[in-house]
Amino acid sequence: MAELDAARDELVAALGADAVLHDPLALRLYARDASMVEGSAGLVVFVRSAEDVVVCMQVAARHDLPVVPRGSGTGLAGGATPLADAIVVVTAKMNRILEVRPEDRLAWVEPGVFNLDLGNALRPTGFTYAPDPSSQQVSSIGGNVNTNAGGPHCLAYGVTSAHVLAVDVVLPDGSVGRFGSEAPAAPGYDLRGYVVGSEGTLGIVTAACVRLTPLPPAVRTLLLDFADVEDCAQTVSAIIARGVVPAALEMMDRGIVRAVEAFAHAGYPTDAAAVLLVEVDGLPAGVEAQTREVEAAAREHGVGTIRIAADETERALLWKGRKSAFGAIARIAPHYHLHDCVVPRKALAGVLSGVYAIAQRHDLIVTNVFHAGDGNLHPLFSFDRSVPGTLERVLAASDELVRLCVDAGGSLSGEHGIGLEKRDFMPLVFTAEDLDAQACLRAAFDPDGRMNPRKVLPDGARCGDYAAAALARDGALPEGTWI
Amino acid sequence: MDLIHPHSKRDVVDALRAASAAETRVLIVGGRRHIDKGNPSQVDAELWTTVLDDRVAYDPAEMLCVVEAGMRIHDLTAMLAEGGQEWPVDAPGDSTVGGVIASAAATIRQLRVGAMRDTIVEMEVVTGDGRLIKSGARTVKNVTGYDVHRLLTGSLGTLGVIVQVALKVRPLPKAARTLVSGDGGLELGRRVLDAVPLPAAVLAEPDRIVVRLEGWPEEVEEQTTAARSIAAFDETDALFPEACFPEASTLAQAAVAPSRLGALLAGVDRCRAMLGVGIAWVPFEHEDALTAFRARATELGGIAPVIRGPGGLGAGAVPAPEVQRRIRAAMDPAGILAPGRAWSS
Repeated sequence: MAELDAARDELVAALGADAVLHDPLALRLYARDASMVEGSAGLVVFVRSAEDVVVCMQVAARHDLPVVPRGSGTGLAGGATPLADAIVVVTAKMNRILEVRPEDRLAWVEPGVFNLDLGNALRPTGFTYAPDPSSQQVSSIGGNVNTNAGGPHCLAYGVTSAHVLAVDVVLPDGSVGRFGSEAPAAPGYDLRGYVVGSEGTLGIVTAACVRLTPLPPAVRTLLLDFADVEDCAQTVSAIIARGVVPAALEMMDRGIVRAVEAFAHAGYPTDAAAVLLVEVDGLPAGVEAQTREVEAAAREHGVGTIRIAADETERALLWKGRKSAFGAIARIAPHYHLHDCVVPRKALAGVLSGVYAIAQRHDLIVTNVFHAGDGNLHPLFSFDRSVPGTLERVLAASDELVRLCVDAGGSLSGEHGIGLEKRDFMPLVFTAEDLDAQACLRAAFDPDGRMNPRKVLPDGARCGDYAAAALARDGALPEGTWI
Repeated sequence: MDLIHPHSKRDVVDALRAASAAETRVLIVGGRRHIDKGNPSQVDAELWTTVLDDRVAYDPAEMLCVVEAGMRIHDLTAMLAEGGQEWPVDAPGDSTVGGVIASAAATIRQLRVGAMRDTIVEMEVVTGDGRLIKSGARTVKNVTGYDVHRLLTGSLGTLGVIVQVALKVRPLPKAARTLVSGDGGLELGRRVLDAVPLPAAVLAEPDRIVVRLEGWPEEVEEQTTAARSIAAFDETDALFPEACFPEASTLAQAAVAPSRLGALLAGVDRCRAMLGVGIAWVPFEHEDALTAFRARATELGGIAPVIRGPGGLGAGAVPAPEVQRRIRAAMDPAGILAPGRAWSS
C-alpha cells in the first residue's frame, strides 16, 4: 500500500485534490464496469488532458502500479474493471470535439465525447460518424475505439476500426505517439489498427481522428414480422443473396418485442414470433430498388405484415423500439446478462434454436435482439440475482452458449470484447502459439505488463523463449530495420 | 540468389525456421507488382508464394471468402464473379492477394467501398522464425483477441509470410459507368465531387476528370445527370481502371489529407489525384524533382513513397520507433525478412 499512497500523493500534487478520488465509496463505484465482474480500484484519477495522462503513466511506472483506462464504464466484458488495486484513469472529462473538417472528411475528438453527441454535432455538415452502438447516448468515443465497437449500421458501413484514421496515444512508459494519420497512409506498421479494439491494454487514447461518412440522400426503414423464427432468420440470408446489403438488418424475438412494446409503444406486433427491422439507404432510386428486393425476399419466407416508415417520425419510433431494448428488459427481471457472439449468417436459425434449448435447460428467461445481418447474436438472460443458485445457472448457460457459437463456426465476441469475461475461452478459438504471439506483440507496447493486466489473454499466454529473448535485447536490431 | 518455392504452409514454416537458424536474408515475393516499394536491399533468397493459391472456402451467402495468399487477383475475381460478388480492391490481375495486402495497395474506389485494410477478417501468417499463427475469425464482425493481421497489412514482408486470408466481399454493383470529361484540374474535380452523390471515385488529372459510378441502374443515371450539371462528360468502359503512367520510370504514390491535394500538386504537370481520399500518383524522371516533391508532402503532413522504380519509401516520421522495433523483433527475431525495407528518418 505504501506505493499506492505515494502514488496518490504525487498525483494529488500534480493534478489537484479534486482530480484524485480514493474514498471508499468512489473506489467501490469504480471497481466495476457494466459487466457482472467486480474488481478493486486503488485510486481513481480524472484526467483533463494528454499531459495529465502522461503524469498518471509516469507515476504508475515509478511505483510499478497497474493502470486501467475507463471511458463511460458501459463496457460489458469487464475491460474497465480494475484488478489488484489498479489506478483507474477516467477520460470522461476529456469531452471536447476539437475540430470538424468536412473538407477532409475527418474530425478530431477527445476520448470522453459521447458517440451520439458527435453524431448530432456532425449532422449540419451533411456527414455522420457511422458506428452507432446501442449504448451511444452514454458510451464514449474512447471506449468505442478501445472495444472496436459496432452497432446496427455497421452492416453496411463497417465497425469502429474502419472509421478511425488516427489516435494519439500515451504509452505505459509515458511517451506519446500519433498512430495513423489524417492522410490515407502513414509510415511504419499500422499501430492504429492494433490499438483499436485492444481494450485499454496497450496505452491510453487521448484523441481520435475519426472519418466522416456522407449522410445518405435517402433512407427507408421497414418492419417485417414473421410467425416463425426460422423464416425470419432465413429472410436475412435471402436479402443478402439478392445482392442487397442493407444499412441495418436487426432481428428481435417475441420476448423482446413484448418488453419493448410495453415500454416504447412503437407499434411493434406483439403476436409475431420474430420481427426484422431493415433499413436501406442510398440515392432515392436505389432505395426504391432495394426496398422491392427486401419485400420480395420477405414474401418468399412467409412474412406477415410489411410496415414501411412513412416519415422521419415513424422511422425514429421504429428505431426507438430497437434501441430501448436493453432498458425495456428491466420489466422482465431485475438483472440481466447480455451476451455477444458472432456466427456465420447461415448458422443463425440453428444457433437460435440452440439458445432457446440452453435457456430451457437452465430454467432461464432468454430474449434476443441482435444484428442479424452480421450474424452477431445478443442473447439476453434475465434473472433475479437474489434467488440462490441463479447466478450459477446463468454462468453455466453462458458457458454452453459460447461453445455453441464456436462449434457453429463463430467467434467469441462480435463487438463487446473479451475483457475478463471471455478471457479464459480464448483457447477455444486460438492455439497456444497464436496466443503467445499476441502476448508478445502486446509486450511490444507494454514491456512491463502494467496496462490493464490480465485482460483479453488467458493467464498462460506469454512470449515464446526465442521471441522473448529478441524482445529483451532492446535496440538489438539496428536503426532502419523497421519499415 | 536462392529460390524457395513452398507448396504448402508446412513448407513455409520449414523454410523460415531454416532461414532464421542460418541467418539467410529472405525477400517474400508474390506477383512482383509491388516489389519496388521500399526497395529491398541485398537478400540471399526469394520466397515465392505463388503456388500457395488454393481456394479454401467461399460461400456467397456469407459475403466472405477464404483463399491462400498466393492466389492471383484475376483468379480471385473470377471465383467471386461466379457468386455475383467482388473483393472491392482494384489491383493488377497478376498480382497476388498476399502481395496486395502486404503492400497496402491503394484502391481506386476507396471513396465508396472503404479501405482495403478493413476487408481482411482473418489471417494466417508464418513468422520469420517459422511459427504459423492465426488472428481474426471467419465472421464479418469480430473483436476476439488482437488483430495481428492489422500489423501485417502494409508490412512489406518484414514481419512474416501471409499464407492465408479470409476476406469480406460484396455484391457486384448492379450497374457501373465511367465518365470522362475533356477538361481537368483539381478545382473542376472538386466541384464534381461536391455535386455527385456517393460516387465510387473522382480522379482528377490536369487535362481530364474521370468519375466512376456504381450502384443500382437508376442511381447511376441520377449520378450521371448530377455530374453533367458541372461539366460535359463522355461515357466509357475502357478507361477504368487503366494503368497509371505505365511509361514512367519512377512513380510516387503520395498520401495527404484530402484538402491538401491542391497544395501538394501545385506546379505538377502530370498526376492523377484521388479526390476525397487524398492519394495522388505522380511520375518522375529526375531524382531532384522527387526530392522536392517529397519535402512538400512532408510539410503537408503526408508521405510520398515510390511504388515503381528507384527511390524507396522516402522520409517518414515512424511513430513510437521502439514499439515498432519490438514488434519486428517479436515476429522476426533473427531479422531475416527484407532487411533495409525501411523509412529513412
